[in-house]
Amino acid sequence: MLARAHTFTIEGLHTRHVTVEVDVRAGLPAFTIVGLADAAVREARERVRAAILNSGYEFPARRIVASLAPADVPKVGAALDLALACALLAASGQCPRERLDAHVLFGELALDGEVRACRGTLAVAQATRQAGLGRLVLGPSGAREATLVDGLDVAVAERLSSAVRVLGGGDADPLLARSSDVVRRSAGPGPDLSDVRGQHHAVRALVIAAAGGHNLLLSGPPGTGKTMLAQRIGSILPPLTRAQAVEVTRIRGICGSIGGELVSERPWRAPHHSMTTAGLIGGAQRDSIGEVVLAHHGVLFLDELSEFARPVLEALRQPLEDGRVAIVRARHSTIYPARFMLLAATNPCPCGYAGVGERCRCSEAELARHRRRLSGPLLDRIDLLAQLDHDAASHASAPAQIDSARARDLVTAARERQTARLREDGVTLNAHMDASMLRRLLALDERCEGMLRSAHERGLLSARGRHRVLRVARTIADLNESERIRARDLGSAIALRGDAGLSGKRAA
Amino acid sequence: MRRSWLLAQLGGPLDCNCRADGRLIDLLALGDDELTKALAGRRLSELRGQLADFEPGELARGNGIAEICRHDRRYPRGLRALGVPPMLFAAGELRRLVRLTTAPVVAIVGTGRATDYGLEIAGDLARGLAASGVTVAGELADGIARAALIGALEGGGGAVSVLGGGVDVGAPARSRSLLAEVKRGGVAVSELPCETPPRRWAAAAAKRIVAALAAVTVVVEADDSSRELAGARIAQALGRTVAAVPGRVSSRASCGSHALLRAGARLVTGPADVLDLLCDAERPAHESRDRHAGLDARLRAVLESVGAGIDTPQKLTANGEDAGEVLHALSELELRGLLARGDGGRYVARSAVGRLVVR
Repeated sequence: MLARAHTFTIEGLHTRHVTVEVDVRAGLPAFTIVGLADAAVREARERVRAAILNSGYEFPARRIVASLAPADVPKVGAALDLALACALLAASGQCPRERLDAHVLFGELALDGEVRACRGTLAVAQATRQAGLGRLVLGPSGAREATLVDGLDVAVAERLSSAVRVLGGGDADPLLARSSDVVRRSAGPGPDLSDVRGQHHAVRALVIAAAGGHNLLLSGPPGTGKTMLAQRIGSILPPLTRAQAVEVTRIRGICGSIGGELVSERPWRAPHHSMTTAGLIGGAQRDSIGEVVLAHHGVLFLDELSEFARPVLEALRQPLEDGRVAIVRARHSTIYPARFMLLAATNPCPCGYAGVGERCRCSEAELARHRRRLSGPLLDRIDLLAQLDHDAASHASAPAQIDSARARDLVTAARERQTARLREDGVTLNAHMDASMLRRLLALDERCEGMLRSAHERGLLSARGRHRVLRVARTIADLNESERIRARDLGSAIALRGDAGLSGKRAA
Repeated sequence: MRRSWLLAQLGGPLDCNCRADGRLIDLLALGDDELTKALAGRRLSELRGQLADFEPGELARGNGIAEICRHDRRYPRGLRALGVPPMLFAAGELRRLVRLTTAPVVAIVGTGRATDYGLEIAGDLARGLAASGVTVAGELADGIARAALIGALEGGGGAVSVLGGGVDVGAPARSRSLLAEVKRGGVAVSELPCETPPRRWAAAAAKRIVAALAAVTVVVEADDSSRELAGARIAQALGRTVAAVPGRVSSRASCGSHALLRAGARLVTGPADVLDLLCDAERPAHESRDRHAGLDARLRAVLESVGAGIDTPQKLTANGEDAGEVLHALSELELRGLLARGDGGRYVARSAVGRLVVR
């Protein structure tokens, strides 16, 4: 007898619909799974057998063939267990077959018949809703994530027997209320901006970056607070919108966090500088997700930027430009979203002390190497540069400039202004304005034009640099609640521009 | 010719001797035979034989590279007094070399690890001098020398650069583009034949040619090590005028200049001072201090703070000034050419003369 059940497999960030067909007929007892199953799926045979027996059903001592269609799509993970078991039970007449077609079964089976949640629950829930496949049956710990999808019928099955009951038209198990021992993902407000003393211009740059989504490079000797500043950006970024939160939760769910709540704070990724290109972009294996994707809608922080391998930094260019990565390998190609804000910190020279009195002991050649490493296309995409320096005397006594709550209000207000202005163009942040939008939306007065002209004549700004400065100036004007860019907004933007000689001696 | 060939052959032993103060100069002052005897070691007989059979044709010759013997009328007068390099190889036009070395020559020397202040001053000095028709001589080295050569090229091209190797290959890779500029606008000279790679002793020996070429040697920034003061010492030994630019007293990069000033070197604060030294004239004591009369009070306050060492946005905002205002003022000053960005976010005051943008 034949039975057919529906489930999904995860492929990178995407899902693929899989039909599980089980055929049970006379012959030597055997259990074969065909259809490009990976090791975890092939091991399902043992789990399914034990779960069926331990749930009080009979495991048919006949020839069983399970086919996973489409046959040419690789299937990964243990989430196919539940569909396999239910189809097997249906094929052997122990479970009603009529409703199998109107359900999607997604979960791993424990040997005692308990249904466990799997990674990618939210993605599967969205796919179920989109494909109109009906009800989604899954384990209790993933259910909360699945209910984030509006209009989806979710049935909780704690055990295999409950799933069979649901398929027979019975009641689902109750949805677990959020219990206190469920680990909440949000770890509190994080460190506050008021901890930072002095460094006024760097704090200002951080607020500007947060408000306009600009990429920011912090440069300075060791111990000047680059990392301290960077870690506080999370506390001044506005929370995710619901649509963004669902996107982020989906990505996190696929990358291994199971049964999470809706993520509310922005992602913060700070990979170590030994990271490889595949680690950054993804695509080492078919379903590996890179750091840039995990930082979607959030912040990617690269500490010690000059220590990263050159190819890794070069690989950042596409995501920074397009807000997505297109991964092409011999056997698969895919596009992932990667709209993040780049925050980087670096020493001004290999020893770290360029510009600090006489302390720098780097040779001219070393400085040139350091510069070469950072210069070029990557720096070209960094809108803001804040250079920090040691100034111990003023630090301790300086008042805190602003606390996170106030900065966050400023940022939120500025972002609202941007969104209102940019709505028709399909972007939300100033950093994402292209050249034509800059021309159309930014009316500059005579004084500002004059400043840009003289900056150009003095060789301080390239054409691309001009665009970056204008985007930043627009954000500063938004922070100052001004409709037009005024000279002082533009002046600040020029002073914080990213393309000046980053370190070492200038050529002239 | 023979001498140049010999020096190129003895590069290794000379390198070993270039550390000791003054030793190298003494060695180079020796005749061919004594020099061979002093340095050749085990290769003595071999070298002597080769020296005896030497044919000038064996020396590599580069395209567009002129050779001037010390008996030539066109040989720079300053070097004739010294008499040491018997042969000079020059890239660039020979006529230009003659023109440049008959004009008054000023050497601008200093440390290779200069501060932004030093680089600015060296560039300004060279630019001003070159614009007044004075030739600026310097090594092809990092730091002050580099800034001076660039400044001289910007100011009209009166630059003579002395290399520590053949004029074709004697520059480290990072200075090649500058060497090309020098060849186009000025002259590059060396006492070593073509295809001689740069050597350490030759870089030290180049200092003596620089000092000998010039009537006045200006030390912009140097610490008190013998290496960085070598140029000034040689100029003193030759009886040329030595001048120095003062720096901040707390800066190690200027302590050599201060030592020279204490020892009687002339004080230089700008191109005009050097021109006065060339004419050996006393200058009027007063000078208009306020070059920035046209600025509004806010900009002038920031400019003065930067001049007084409060030169980063961080220090400028340390007392609670509005960061936006300060950043704006800094940009305005930068756009007017009164400030430039330097190392580590530091700003440097510069004189607001029009200048070319190199690269």
